[in-house]
Amino acid sequence: MTGPVIHDVATLPADDNVNPYAFSVDLNGQWFLQKGKMIAYYGSIDFHGIGHGRLDRLIAGSFHSPLHAADWVVAEGQGKMLLADRAFDVNSYDLEDGNLTIRSGNLLAFQPSLALKQSIIPGFLTLIGTGKFVAASNGPVVFVEPPIRVDPQALVGWADCPSPCHHYDHQYLRGFLGGLRAHTGIGGASGEEHQFEFVGAGTVLLQSTEVLMPELATGAVPDEAGVPGGGGHPAQSGSQLPQLPGGLGDLQRRFGL
Amino acid sequence: MACARVHKRWSIVTAARTITAGGATKGRSGADRDQLGSRPVRAPGPPTTVWSVAQFRLQGSKVLAVDMTGDAVKAKNGAMVAYDGQMSFKKMTGGGEGLRGMVTRRLTGEQMAVMEVKGHGTCYFADRASEINLVRLQGEKLYVEASNLLCTDAALRTGTTFTGMRGASQGNGLFTTTVEGTGQAAITSDGPAVVLRVTKQYPLQVDPGAYIAHTGGLKQHFQSGVNFRTLIGEGSGEAFQIRFEGEGLVYVQPSERNTVGGEV
Repeated sequence: MTGPVIHDVATLPADDNVNPYAFSVDLNGQWFLQKGKMIAYYGSIDFHGIGHGRLDRLIAGSFHSPLHAADWVVAEGQGKMLLADRAFDVNSYDLEDGNLTIRSGNLLAFQPSLALKQSIIPGFLTLIGTGKFVAASNGPVVFVEPPIRVDPQALVGWADCPSPCHHYDHQYLRGFLGGLRAHTGIGGASGEEHQFEFVGAGTVLLQSTEVLMPELATGAVPDEAGVPGGGGHPAQSGSQLPQLPGGLGDLQRRFGL
Repeated sequence: MACARVHKRWSIVTAARTITAGGATKGRSGADRDQLGSRPVRAPGPPTTVWSVAQFRLQGSKVLAVDMTGDAVKAKNGAMVAYDGQMSFKKMTGGGEGLRGMVTRRLTGEQMAVMEVKGHGTCYFADRASEINLVRLQGEKLYVEASNLLCTDAALRTGTTFTGMRGASQGNGLFTTTVEGTGQAAITSDGPAVVLRVTKQYPLQVDPGAYIAHTGGLKQHFQSGVNFRTLIGEGSGEAFQIRFEGEGLVYVQPSERNTVGGEV
């Protein structure tokens, strides 16, 4: 009779998947994890919010993402801890003296030997160093190597290669009708005119659906000159003309008005 | 003819994924299998156990198939997706627990819309594409939320029980459903459930939003890590846990329902 395996503290894997949707951490010290991703644990584990005074040194060394501080906790103690996220696929990845940038909603947990920093691309986080982290994806993760263009919704993250740039298909930019079509969808848009383009050496992580995992609003980066996404002011178009209503401002700009 | 029928049943049952709730899974020897054709019993299994006739098996992980030969199962109302053979579906008012059960369920908020399915053939059940887990009960009690209970053997008794703060923290009310007796039950979960054993030495803490069911003699405490940091907005997000102590099995799903506790 082959039933689902019954796990106990000894048979739970150490730092490995229990099934594609649950990951078991063999905790002996500290781990960072996103709030609410712990589903069960054996042993004695305490959870501290980031900002707990006693953890100051740890935070200073491994957590450089004040915008995300409210979403993260430190698990401290000894035992086996199960992590999962809305029944999405979870996987662990090992970084060796590397860097990896990942969508902030996908990262579940990481070892303090890694340092977490905000990417300059809004909504992404960068992990630098050596250690293990756990990330969720909607469907299994596919690894691909640049040069490649990927669908924005399928992108989970990338390692080692330069940050991507936007790529628009040529037709998108051609002629008045092309512009109109791109902005309104009237006349048929395939929905695939816009990609992220990766070049250079590295690895790109894709999920196998185009359903994005909902993520928490994290606020804005500091209002400083030169910080992308900072300030919250929309970029000023060179034009002094009054902008057309209905979000057509970009269209107006494209035709040089 | 009867022989062929028995063999067909056998192959179906071996394909099924079932859990022995007591833990000890008994392997059946090849010799046992050879004798099976000549034995007059229809349901295969260890000879010591009393088997109910309806056979539960999983078709994939999200559809439950129940093979019935004139017997009945209780299932969540409207969970039937297909059947072959002859089936009758009868709404059981108040979960089939009589007038008293009906009133209790109404009062405790553990209403179950249950139907009785009876007939010959195979009936398929599914509920919003959630994963299905089979639980085999041998006299013990299964505690499960009414919303997670998909189907039970007609021989199993269902009832309600008070759970205290644990239930409240899950947003599922103060009461939960119990299933008792000998037979099979199917429970649903968001993602395949992980079955965790609790022993005296190793108690288990579970996030209220991920808990779906448990069996065995377990005591549950509601454990709270709320302190002044929670109040100033520096909570850990894991402020509430259910602590299980004793001997038994706990089913957790790899997903969290939205709970009041999850935000703190």
